[in-house]
This record gives sequence, structure tokens and C-alpha cells, in this order.
Amino acid sequence: MLRAIGKRDRDIFDEVWPEKRKIVLKLLRQETVSQREWQDLFFGVHFVCLWDEKGAAKIYDGLQQDIVEFIVQAQSKVQAQRGEQALLATYIVEWRKFFTQSNYLPLPFRQLEQSPQVKPASSSGSSSSGVAGSAAASAIAGGASTSNAAAASSSGNQAASSSSSSTKASTSAAAAAATSSSGASSTSAASNSASAASSSKKGITEDSPVRKLMLDSWNKHIFHDIKDRLQESAMKIVHAERNGDAYDAQLVVGVRESYVNLSSNAEDKLEIYREHFEKAYLKATADFYRLKSTEQQQENGVLAYMKYADAKLREEEVRAKRYLEPSSFNILTCRLVKVLIVDHLNSIIAECPALIRDYETDRLNLMFRLMDRVLDGEGVEAMMGDLQRHIKSAGLADMQSASEIITQDSEKYVERLLELFNKFSDLVRNAFNDDPRFLTARDIAFKMVVNDTSVFKMELPTSIANRGVKYTAPESKCPELLANYCDMLLRRTPLSKRLTSEQIDARLRDVLLVLKYVNNKDVFMRYHKVHLTRRLILGTSADSEKEEDIVEWLREVGMPADYVNRLARMFQDIKVRSLHFFILFDLIYSLLQQVSEDLNTQFRNSISRHDAINIKILNAGAWARCSERVSVSLPIELEDYIPDVEEFYKKKHSGRKLQWYHHMSNGTITFVNNFGRYDLDVTTFQMAVLFAWNQRQHDKISYENLRLATELPDPELRRTLWSLVAFPKIKKQILLMEPTAISSPKDFAENTMFYINQEFAIVKNGKSQRRGKLNLIGRLQLSTERSQQEDNQSIVQLRILRTQEAIIKIMKVRKRMNNAALQAELIDILKNMFLPSKKMIKEQLEWLIEHKYMRRDDDDINMFIYVA
Amino acid sequence: MKVTIKSWTGVASWRWIANDENCGICRMSFESTCPECALPGDDCPLVWGVCSHCFHMHCIVKWLNLQPLNKQCPMCRQSWKFNIH
Repeated sequence: MLRAIGKRDRDIFDEVWPEKRKIVLKLLRQETVSQREWQDLFFGVHFVCLWDEKGAAKIYDGLQQDIVEFIVQAQSKVQAQRGEQALLATYIVEWRKFFTQSNYLPLPFRQLEQSPQVKPASSSGSSSSGVAGSAAASAIAGGASTSNAAAASSSGNQAASSSSSSTKASTSAAAAAATSSSGASSTSAASNSASAASSSKKGITEDSPVRKLMLDSWNKHIFHDIKDRLQESAMKIVHAERNGDAYDAQLVVGVRESYVNLSSNAEDKLEIYREHFEKAYLKATADFYRLKSTEQQQENGVLAYMKYADAKLREEEVRAKRYLEPSSFNILTCRLVKVLIVDHLNSIIAECPALIRDYETDRLNLMFRLMDRVLDGEGVEAMMGDLQRHIKSAGLADMQSASEIITQDSEKYVERLLELFNKFSDLVRNAFNDDPRFLTARDIAFKMVVNDTSVFKMELPTSIANRGVKYTAPESKCPELLANYCDMLLRRTPLSKRLTSEQIDARLRDVLLVLKYVNNKDVFMRYHKVHLTRRLILGTSADSEKEEDIVEWLREVGMPADYVNRLARMFQDIKVRSLHFFILFDLIYSLLQQVSEDLNTQFRNSISRHDAINIKILNAGAWARCSERVSVSLPIELEDYIPDVEEFYKKKHSGRKLQWYHHMSNGTITFVNNFGRYDLDVTTFQMAVLFAWNQRQHDKISYENLRLATELPDPELRRTLWSLVAFPKIKKQILLMEPTAISSPKDFAENTMFYINQEFAIVKNGKSQRRGKLNLIGRLQLSTERSQQEDNQSIVQLRILRTQEAIIKIMKVRKRMNNAALQAELIDILKNMFLPSKKMIKEQLEWLIEHKYMRRDDDDINMFIYVA
Repeated sequence: MKVTIKSWTGVASWRWIANDENCGICRMSFESTCPECALPGDDCPLVWGVCSHCFHMHCIVKWLNLQPLNKQCPMCRQSWKFNIH
């Protein structure tokens, strides 16, 4: 070799190249190359490049000739094949061989990369990338290329002298390369792992001009001519596979790989692939299924078709993973969805209502999955509409068919409602995987069912009373019934006794669930509060902890804070007052006994002797509005207490005065007659009426005289008397009247006579009992007849105030706002209390404008402006 | 026949005894609360001065804290003293 140094440039190439060329040809043909030859090739290339100015260009040219020659041979081999399979197979074998070599052949010619003479040939390979590339390459390929670099630098310095060490290094390099080369070529059937390996190798040679030269030549000479045939054949194979025939999938994979790797555009490697292979694949797929899907649907019906489409979509996804680059997956899926689903959308959707009706959850689920793939959500929307319509109509139909029972019995009603709700929730869960869109559809529909007024309604006066216009807007009775149901669970009733604490909790939760759908929550809260008041005053709560729990729950579900706070306040009152009332006893006792000895003994005495009296002092603000005072003449025993209590309270709390609510107070009396002795729970009014006979037990007393004796107002007296002469569900009434043929409290005349039923007894199992306890309170009347009307008015009044308040609140922030936006925001603020009607909003806006809180814009009648 | 009372639960509510409907400071009704409070009643009590004027406790305390020197009743300008009954 050293001899060559003295020779002229040209000769060096001529002398060295023919030898090396043989090795190159061997490499191309994948013949065995010995370590020594491989190493020689490295050395030869370096040598020429070093000593021959134009050496690099010459080598490049020589190499090009050889490669083209090789390719032409390969081409003739491929072209010779007639059959499609054979053509593909041959092509792929040749291509694989060549492609493998394209990873190794450039290695010895690395020197060329740095040569400016070669650069023009490679359009994108820059010189800087040569250095960077080799650095990167060394990092990737590890030992092999590091020692390459070592060999190169040492030979650059002083070729021969340092040869001993460099030879060692490059030997190992060649060995490493050769082993991996033979390994790769032997497994050129290219399993996935092999192609992965070659792709990691790509890093080394990717930018190499030699590799580029190889691939470009291949592209130009073979691929260009036969690519259409290749593509066609590949599609045919895919088509056959779709029809169920087994083919060698590797053939298609091979074609795809050659498409990808042959790209000469460095920016976009997949350009050729995308423009030819992907396009053809998509078209073939679409064409195939366009035919098939119509066929399938006509033959097997829509339901079977959905299964088919689902199966095919999955199958194609798997196939795509095999045959396509990852970048094409989405495009393919889109195209498939279009052909398989969107084109058949209407016929599929048409099945939806029937499926929902029959609760075919599996099929609905399938349909949902298919529709969910459609991008614009058109199918899903249609399904949601169907679901919504079904829930609404089914729910209403159910309610209407059972209207007889449920309008009477709030338990049945709520249970029915919950049953419906659970049924639909199950449907949404099973068929639609609890998809939020369907949950919304369910909620909307359920809202309609709950707030529907066709089965039963309550009427509220909607207008402002002081304007004198009165009309009613029907509202669903649902909130009232829900509150009644709550009451049944929380009060000591047969229902609440039957259930365990957990069951009651669960049911209360259910109530809250339904309450979420109720528009007019203020009505619920009002009734709930009335029931709660009753329970607290009568002490009939089944479980006081639960009472407080539910207040917290109401807070959690977003009930307006002032409603809830007021309820919480009521508990506080009851708790605090029960403390007070012990002290009260003390006082009453000492006043009665006129002694002032040791307080403690008296306290004890008072408990034992006077636990008969219990005073509940309530906070007027938090409890039900009882503006009306009902006068009544109390039995003497009670009448005496009243001033004492008032006196005591005055001392205890200066600046306050007590106001008695006798219509809420109640007690237990012992009723003794010839037959037996009975404890009766009665209201104070009933007590007052019964005490009228205490002095003249056998007299008949006229209505007029009773009124004088009790001092009760007319409607209250009528109601009280009616509860004593005609208490529901008891065999023997405590009072009798003359004439007996009176069917309603309104028919009592001034001279209707009443007298004690001396035969009164509690009847159990058809037998009169001598002792017993009976509750004559029934539902404690918390309000008088007039105040009940006022209560209904007050709901409306409160709504009006809330609406005005909310409008002002919004306008204060926004200053200017148009009608639509204002209404939307208003509903948002008020929705936890009630749903304001359009009419009411309009009226309140007018009122506020009239009173100069705001004004309309001069130019735009729909624009409101806040007036400070 | 004889009727005797075994036990009785009386129900009453209480109201403030005030010489006016509204608090002179916040103009809210005495039966409701001062502007800061949520619920009427014990948590937002009334207080009386020796001059017999009456306010929400929270209101008058706030007012007095704003007076640097002479603590005066906002209604009659007499110096303010709490009337403890």
C-alpha cells in the first residue's frame, strides 16, 4: 500500500478500485464477505479519498454504475414474473435484499460524505450533517462505529505506523457489522422485530449519499415502472383476504415498506406512500364495503347489519395496523365510518325508538358505539332525541295510568317515580355506558315528567294581589307530594317504623334525587318546613338526628342558603328551649306554691309534679309565618300559667314579649266516662271545646253557646267541632250532634246541638276497650284557613320579590343588558328556588322600569339600562 | 264524665318590644336582622340606650366605633349609654 503513495492521483483510483469493486459487488449480491475484505474496503475508500483529489467523485461514479447494473438485473428478474403473487414475492425478495444492503453498503463509503464533490448528487444531505450525523451515528451504533471513527482518524494521521492498533479496532468493527449484516439478511422474511432493527440502523446511514444513491436508483429503475402493478396486486391480496381467503400478508407489508423507504423527500418521508399506497388502500376499502354493506343490510336486516358493521370496523382496525403506517389509521377509520355507518345512518336510526321501547340494551349499546364514531355526532343526537321522547312519553303514560292511586298516596307516587327513574338510569348505564350526553337527555326528559301538570296540579295565584288581577298557573303537585313523603319517613308512622334507619336514609336520598328535577323547589321547601314544624311541636320525629341530616343534605343539593338556615334555626330553637323550659318549670312551680326555698329541691319537685307543662318558645323569624293570632279561652288550669310564663320570660329576656300560638299548642287529656278511662291527644282548641262540658256533663250545648264559651273564631270552631264529631277512622266519636244529618262543618247552624257521647270508647278489633290512648290531633293545623290562602299568596309574593331582587342584582353588575341575556341569567340565579315564568319576568321588568330602577334604551326596546 | 289535663305543650313566639319599626341606623326592621346577619333572633339582638332609643346591637356598636370622641346616640345626639334593664 505504501508504494502507492508516490503514484499519481489517477493511478491510485485505478489501482485500488477494481479490487474493492469486487467486494462491493459481492456485498450487493449478498455473498459472503470475509472480515478482511470488509476491512479492506474501508481502507481502500479512505486511501483513495486521501490521495486522490477527485477520488471521492470517482468512487461515487463507479459505485453508481455498479448499483444501476445490479438493479437492472434485479428488474429483469422481477419483470419476468407473470403471476401477481409471484411478481410480488419476487419483488419483495429483491427489494428486501437490496434494502438490507442499503443499510450496510454506505458504511465503508462514509468518507464520501465529507467530500464536496459528491454533495451535488445528494440534494438534501448537507456537509454539516455529515459530522453531526456521524456523531449521532456513533451514539446509536455503539461500539461498531466508534471504532470506525477511531480507524478513520488514525489512518488519517499516519496510516501505516499506527496500523497495529487501528487494525484491531476496525477488525472488531467489521466483525460486528458483518454479523449483524448476515443476521439481518438471513431473516429477510422481515418479521416485525427485524424491520424494527433495520429502522434503528437507519440512523447510521440515513443521510448517506450512497444510500440515497441506492434508493434513488431503485426508485428510478424498478419501482417507477412497476409500482402500479405492485399496488394493484397488493390490493387484490387485501381484497381476497377480506373475502376470507388466506394470503401471505407479508407481501402487502413489503410493498408498503418499499413505498415508505423509497421516498426521496427528506421532509416528508411518507409522501410517496401517502399519494399512492394509502390512496389506493382507502379507495379499495371504501369500494369494497360500499358494495358489501348494502348487500348485508338488504339480506340480513338493519339489526344484523349493525353487528356486521361493528365487527368489520374492528377487523379493519387490526388490518390497518398490519398494512398501513400509523399516520393513516385515522383517515382510514373516517372513511370506513362514512361508508359503513354514515351512509346507512337513517335506516339504523330508524330502529332506535323500537329498541329503546323494548329495552334492548345490548343492541342499543352496539348502536351507540357505532354512532359515537360518527364525527359530527348527528347519529348520537338522533338517539338522544329518541331516548328523551321515550322517557317522557313512557313516564307520563305510566303516571297517567296510575293516576288514581298516586294522586292520593304520596308514597306510591314517589315510589313510582323512583322506579321509573331507576329504570331509565339503568337503560342509560347499560345501553349508553352512562355517556354524559345521554345522562343529560335523561335529565331533561325526567324534568318534563316530574313537572308535568296533566296528572295533578296545584294552583297558585300568579298575579300581584294588589293589582287585583287573579288567575292561576297550574304547577305540578310533585314538590308537595315529595314533602309529604319525606314527612312520612321522618315522622313516627307505620311506614317509618317498618323501615330500618338505612332504608330511610336511602329513601330520603331518593327524594333529593327527584327533587333535583323539580322546577319549583320553593314549594317543596315550604311544605317541608310546615311538616317539620308540626313534627317538632308535636314531638313526633322518628329520629331527630335524621331531621338534622336532611337539612344538611338539602344544603348539599344546592337549596338556597336562607331556606336551609331557617330550618337549622328551628332545631336550635327546639334544643335551646328545652333547656329553658326546665328553668321555667322551676319558676312556675315556685309561683304556684308561693314558696322560695332551696331552688334545687324545687327543681326536682317541679319535674316530678309538673312535667305536665311544656312551653315551646319559637323565633318568629325562623318558624312558619303565623301572623294571625287566634283568640281562645283556655281551660282555667292553663289560663293561670300564661301570665306567669310571660312574667318569667320578661325577666329572662328584657325587651321581648311573648306571643302565643294556641292553634299550634296541644296536650294530652284524660277522659273518664262510665265505660273507661282514656288518654286523648288533642289540640288546645279541642281541649277548650271539651272543657265546656266539664261543669255540665250531660247537657246539650248549642253551637252559639260553644262559640261564646271558647271564644274561638267561627271557622276554627267549625273545624274543631267537626274533628270531634266526625274524626276519620274511629268507630265511636267523642261528641255527638243534633240533628245528625250534617255532612260538612259548613252546615253547622247556630242552634245545632252538641253533647258528649257517654258511650264513647276506643274500639279495637271490634271490642270496646276500657283503657287506651287516642290521637285526635290528626294533622296539626298550623295555619288558619285565612292564613293558608295568605301562605299561597306569600309564595307568589316571595317569588316576585326574589325575581326583582335578582334582576337588580344582575343589572347592577352589567349596567346594560338585552332581554334574552337577562332572562337567561335570571333563570340561572333563580333555578334553585323556582322557575320564573316569562310572564312574571316581564311583569317585574315593567314594574322596575315604572319605579325607575332601570329603563329601556331609547333606540333598542330590548335593551335595558340600570338606573343608579 | 270528667276531663282533666295530663300534659300541655304551649307554643309561643317572641318579638322585640321596640319603640319603632325599623332600626334607625340600617333602616331594617327590628324583627329582621342587621345587614350583616343571616337570621333574626338571638344572634342579632336589640339594645337600648338610656335615651330610650333602640338599635340592632351590631349596628350601634359599629356606629360607636366610628365615633372618635363623643359616643353619641345617632338619633338624639345625647351621649350614648347602654340601658341595662
